[in-house]
Amino acid sequence: MNTKTLMYILKRILLAVVTVWVVITVTFFVMHAVPGGPFVGEKAVTPAVQAAMEAKYGLDKPLSEQYFTYLKDITRLDFGPSLKSRGRYVTDMIFDGMKTSIKLGVIAAFIALAFGVVFGAIAALRRNKIIDRIIMVITTAFVSMPSFIMGSLLLVVFSTKLGWLPANGAQKNGLILPIITLSLYPMAYITRLTRSSMLEVLGQDYIRTAKAKGVSGVKIIFGHALKNSLIPVITYFGPMLAYIVTGSLVVEQIFAVPGIGRAFVNSITGRDYPLVMGTTIVLATLIVIMNLIGDIMYKIVDPRITLE
Amino acid sequence: MKKKLLSVLLASSMLLSLAACGKSSDAANEAGSQTAADSAAQETSAAKPAEEKNSGIINVCIGSEPQSLDPAINSTVDGATVISHLFSGLAKWGADANGKAELQPDCIEGFTEGVKNDDGTVTYTYKLRDGLKWSDGKDLTAGDFVYSWNRAAGTELAADYCYMFDVIVGYDEMWADNAKGDEKLKVEAPDDKTIVVTLKNDVPYWNELLAFPAYMPVREDVVSNESWAAEPSGYICNGPYTISDWQHNSVIKVTKRDDYVDAADITINEINFYLSDDQNNMLANFENGSWEFIDDVPTNEIPNLKENYPTEFKVEGQLGTYFICWNINKNLLPKSSKLTGVEKTRAEEEIRNAFALLIDRNYIVNDVAKGGQVPASSFVAMGLTDADGSQFYENAGPDPSYVGYYDVKEDAYEANWEKALTTLKKYYTFDEATQKFTDVPTIMYLYNTSEGHKAIAEAVQSTLAGIGITMNLENQEFATCVETRKKGDYYVARHGWLGDYNDPISFLDMWTSGSGNNDVQYGKGANADVKAYSIDLTDLGYETKVENGTWAETYDVIIKDIKESTDTKTRYELMHRAEDLLMSTGCICPIYFYTDIYMVDDSVSGFYSSPLGFKFFMHAKVNK
Repeated sequence: MNTKTLMYILKRILLAVVTVWVVITVTFFVMHAVPGGPFVGEKAVTPAVQAAMEAKYGLDKPLSEQYFTYLKDITRLDFGPSLKSRGRYVTDMIFDGMKTSIKLGVIAAFIALAFGVVFGAIAALRRNKIIDRIIMVITTAFVSMPSFIMGSLLLVVFSTKLGWLPANGAQKNGLILPIITLSLYPMAYITRLTRSSMLEVLGQDYIRTAKAKGVSGVKIIFGHALKNSLIPVITYFGPMLAYIVTGSLVVEQIFAVPGIGRAFVNSITGRDYPLVMGTTIVLATLIVIMNLIGDIMYKIVDPRITLE
Repeated sequence: MKKKLLSVLLASSMLLSLAACGKSSDAANEAGSQTAADSAAQETSAAKPAEEKNSGIINVCIGSEPQSLDPAINSTVDGATVISHLFSGLAKWGADANGKAELQPDCIEGFTEGVKNDDGTVTYTYKLRDGLKWSDGKDLTAGDFVYSWNRAAGTELAADYCYMFDVIVGYDEMWADNAKGDEKLKVEAPDDKTIVVTLKNDVPYWNELLAFPAYMPVREDVVSNESWAAEPSGYICNGPYTISDWQHNSVIKVTKRDDYVDAADITINEINFYLSDDQNNMLANFENGSWEFIDDVPTNEIPNLKENYPTEFKVEGQLGTYFICWNINKNLLPKSSKLTGVEKTRAEEEIRNAFALLIDRNYIVNDVAKGGQVPASSFVAMGLTDADGSQFYENAGPDPSYVGYYDVKEDAYEANWEKALTTLKKYYTFDEATQKFTDVPTIMYLYNTSEGHKAIAEAVQSTLAGIGITMNLENQEFATCVETRKKGDYYVARHGWLGDYNDPISFLDMWTSGSGNNDVQYGKGANADVKAYSIDLTDLGYETKVENGTWAETYDVIIKDIKESTDTKTRYELMHRAEDLLMSTGCICPIYFYTDIYMVDDSVSGFYSSPLGFKFFMHAKVNK
């Protein structure tokens, strides 16, 4: 890696920090501007109780003061106590949620990549044959079906009707259905991406040259075609992880998976300010890092690309 | 053929690799031939022989992760259910001979009568039973109760339900503006076995309060750690169960305590409280046999469930009313109207009550909400009892020929409609040719985002549209909607209220001019100066007689009298008068009384539910 690349990465990391800071600031002020507070319910607490709670959590201070206190706290990675789940700390809650969500996301990403590339390659190599058609029809269906429909469908078929798999993420094997739901869309997308990119590569002069030189079919596919046709797939890596992170918000809800996505959604409806901030920061950081990794991998696969 | 094989191979390899992603590969997913019943049996009672009548394990879902399992802090019904299994108070909801919930003494030997003091206060003395222990083996003492009640009521904890203690002498001083912070409730423990508590006056629902989670004991050394109730390790309780495992947001497992004083009566050894609030997910788990009990179902599935699970789909009464509330400060009269003062107020009251007659509650209940709800014609909900033990709502209203403040029977709807039109025609222009009103101001209907609320709003909207009245719908996310309503920044809004205890005052004191729940804005803003309300309590032995007074001079006074009344019969009569005044304004338009819908598997017996909707599994049996 040359200094230019290194400088680029450093610059990107700096930019990432700024991005996260902007996200924190915007979220903080928008969140406080939204009507309703953490202690609002169908039944009103008495003004005295409300005041006592606000004093306890420092919500009675001016907003700017709260903001700077918060910034100071998060540099020490202290996300504070949850306002809704009294007695619990946001750091613990995020950690709990991340354990499940990371498992969910990583496996889903792996499945999407592995099967997507294989199916895409098969479809390209068997272009216009029956298997290509089948793969294309199925992937079109998966790409166009939103995850909440796919999730509900799998839930009804495999859990309610067939009873093969549990419907709840907390149960044994409970993560299988959410993982499938989460991986189908990116898998289908990668399949289509790989297919078209591979078809393009297979038509290139250097493949014809290799064929003319008598290189074996397997070597052509794995040595030349596949590697080069993966470049668009790599560029999709960042968006895919972003999709998995945001998709998990829906999927975790459908399958009641105790992940960070569900914690995030519930924190917003409940106006649990510290938890909203904590989950936002973690998710934003994750997306920024993933995009960075995607860019760097891009460079590794295709040395012609200069990063600057 | 080769290609086909390849695709089959790929597909099956994908399935296999997914199966390996689970925690274990030996479970139900491997073999597609297993039936739903097989896998369900595996989930719940794998090792139990078939002939045993009670597996001793029950899997239930009553809601999502409770906000807190600290009995003093919890404010949710699902949290209260879990806490009721973990703690024992002075009283509890047990089962009577017919398996229905009944208030019974718990940590005490029996309920006692209060002794009236000269200043009107009432003192109760309780003796604790022998053998009461905390889950860590220490003895439970009367002092623990004294500490717990002061903690739950006090300013330092500032719990949502601190006002549940406002019946005890000393509570007002605790929350007074000039309080120093060391004020205490008048509850004492002269020795380890005796509790003496003094109430401000006779409180008819006192025994019920004793069974409320906020009144459960906690131990000072345990709760000194602020996070004690968030993890199983520090969770010391005194009830039939302890928490043995708690996977946040997924499951709370509670296990029977063998050293619990009434352990012999506890028939379920282990309860898994699964934590989910997704109704479709709950139903899926119920239908595939994983869970024996779910506390909610998707609304649009209700008709199917009634048909497919006639013995398992349950509808029970709940102390709650779904209603539409009007902002009293919004103008209702047409621009041309010249009415002012009392006349204007009267006209608006008449108009609002006419609107209430236009709503077809039977249609809403049977075809929109579909949950077995009961059409409502009064605000105090079904299930709350009157002085003589009869239903309070059945005795409400001016006319004994029907229940409530208007007749909501199906066959009365046509007459109601005609009556409403006649009233409205007095104030608005009616075009006979089109059969439509032409100058009714546009009404904005606010509701919190939910399919159920939307469907009801649309039903009302289409009814009004039929006679030329435009009603626009606006939905806001829950917390926003609640705040908008509280600030009085609305015209008409959907509302719902659930009582905290079986006493009509929990529905009536929310409408005093100083109340934080007074969303109608009675006695607030412009209405504060409106002198148009009348009461006459002289026949009940009070001096109060007000002709055209403000809301504060009338309604607030009745509520104060109710709270200070020591005569049960008079007190209930006062509550009827308060409701009469409330309903005369037309600002509260009841739609239906809430029901509690849940599903319980046929294999479960001995389960019951309290009037507040707390569920009890400890005396159940699971025949699996």
